[in-house]
Amino acid sequence: MSNAPSSLILSGIHKKFGSLTAVEDLDLDVAPGTLVSLLGPSGCGKTTTLRMVAGFDAPDSGTIRIRDEDVTPLPPNKRGLGMVFQSYSLFPHRTVAENVAFGLRMMGASRQTQADEVRRMLDMVKLGGREDMYPAQLSGGQQQRVALARALVINPRVLLLDEPLGALDKALRESMQFEIREMQQRLEITTLLVTHDQEEAMSISDEIAVMQDGRILQLGAPNDIYDKPETAFVATFLGTSNLFTGTVTTDGLLRTPAGNLALPAQVPPGREVTLSVRPERIMMGDAAAALPQGLSGRVISASFRGSYAAYRIALDETGVEITSYRQADASLGHTGMSPGDRVPLGWPVDQGVIVTTNENAN
Amino acid sequence: MLDAVKNSARARRALLLAPALIFLAVFFVMPLADNSARSFLTEDGGFTLSRYAAFLTDRFYLGVILETLILSAAVTVISVVIAYPVAYVLVRKAGRLSGLIVFLLIAPLLTSIIMRTFGWQVLFARRGLVNQWLVTDLGLLDTPLRWLNTPGLAIAALVHVLVPFAVLSIASVLQGVDRRLEEGALVLGASRIRTFFEVTLPLTVDGIGTGAILVFMIANGSFVTLVLLGGGFQTLPLLIYQQFNTTRDFALASTMSTILLVIALACLWLQLRLLRRQGV
Repeated sequence: MSNAPSSLILSGIHKKFGSLTAVEDLDLDVAPGTLVSLLGPSGCGKTTTLRMVAGFDAPDSGTIRIRDEDVTPLPPNKRGLGMVFQSYSLFPHRTVAENVAFGLRMMGASRQTQADEVRRMLDMVKLGGREDMYPAQLSGGQQQRVALARALVINPRVLLLDEPLGALDKALRESMQFEIREMQQRLEITTLLVTHDQEEAMSISDEIAVMQDGRILQLGAPNDIYDKPETAFVATFLGTSNLFTGTVTTDGLLRTPAGNLALPAQVPPGREVTLSVRPERIMMGDAAAALPQGLSGRVISASFRGSYAAYRIALDETGVEITSYRQADASLGHTGMSPGDRVPLGWPVDQGVIVTTNENAN
Repeated sequence: MLDAVKNSARARRALLLAPALIFLAVFFVMPLADNSARSFLTEDGGFTLSRYAAFLTDRFYLGVILETLILSAAVTVISVVIAYPVAYVLVRKAGRLSGLIVFLLIAPLLTSIIMRTFGWQVLFARRGLVNQWLVTDLGLLDTPLRWLNTPGLAIAALVHVLVPFAVLSIASVLQGVDRRLEEGALVLGASRIRTFFEVTLPLTVDGIGTGAILVFMIANGSFVTLVLLGGGFQTLPLLIYQQFNTTRDFALASTMSTILLVIALACLWLQLRLLRRQGV
């Protein structure tokens, strides 16, 4: 069931609930066969956006187009969508097979077609043989697979995933991420995912739209957003980052509480910007000797996190705290450094990213 | 030591429950048991089933039981049909008004049933308010209609009394239905009406069941409404009253009471099973 080209276009979407603005001037274009994530903290408008695409809520203004058809005025049942909910939302009074067949039955498919398609879908999600069980008899991961099968069996024009893995434990979540991604790519189905989990968004998306306060702050491929965040919010919401906010001096340095720092690009003097440096870009010890910042500090805490170790380091003189990661190295013991150790540190200038300070973004 | 703690906890619980249990035993269980016992005793104190044999083979009495059950069933069906939309609005649409609706549902239950039934009489008497509107004010009729002592009015009054029970039973189950199940059905192509019949209604069957049994049980034993509004119904409670007060055949009255009690117990048992299925 390979899909014909399909895509989803949101333009100029506004939505208010009473006096509360949920979504503001939102534009989004999902290319055929790609998976786009709406990522943001709760209350950022991502779920409202998804519900408007589904047709549960109507936008105050703007249009939603699916495959060149304006679906804005259509009810949910006329939009040709598949949807998977965080709580699975399987019909508890129906068997697995009846759940999966539901959409086909609503379309008026013959009994034979229903039976064939249900078997094919259940095989695909590795649940063959469980046709006659009830949802309550399945594990969370199995229920989510049934929900996925139920959404995909009608060959939807767009698949909507609303925090689909939120109720699963971590290990299961990771394997389901791969499964969903693999299936989405095989079926080439245009997909919109809502999540507050940045790891999930990064690992299964073609593009991520980071949202805050009802707006899309930044849209791009996961690695672009991670490596080139445009705002301090994006830098800290996707992963961890050390932020140095300050004013640019006449000689092109950034005057921050941590000292005057070199910038990776020229910024007109007098501007207030933030320099973002990822913890894994921070170098410590001998490697930091040749770096231009000439900083040093004292380790406050060191924690072992499996494949890497995380440090909090207080800079000498200024006391500014910095987070740094280092690959775990068996020869150094679990963390390599201990609280109280003094260490020189810095980063190559081009590893920093100039981002808009949050105040400016709002 | 642990046993002693457990025992004292158990003793305290028993002490707290004792007043209620003693009260129920003395004023509820004993009279009922005594009443039932009468139906099994001969005049000289021996055991007999002859009254039940006589009662349950008599066409007239069987007719009365049947009429009681049919009347209750009719009242139940009408009550549930009226109650469902009310419960739906209460849970889904009323929002902040839901408190007011619940108050309006419960308030009549706090009023004496005699008062409410008299209200019906005032409204529907030959020279009552409704006839005055129809004849004098609106001029729709030449002569007043006879409402009192019609089956329709008696059923309407019973429904009026019992609908709140059905509404509250259905609403409590409807409250627990996950809206996303309905949204899931909508996205899969079901219209709103289809979604209601495919998802909402099946998931609230238990609420309809408990509500229906409750209404049926109360309707079975209803007495005041039928005495005051008539309707020509000959039901078990009315017959029991006659036997006690007019015919003074206490033994037969006890027999009929026991039969009514058995029906009520059967309903209770059904209801408990339904509740247990919901996991309450």
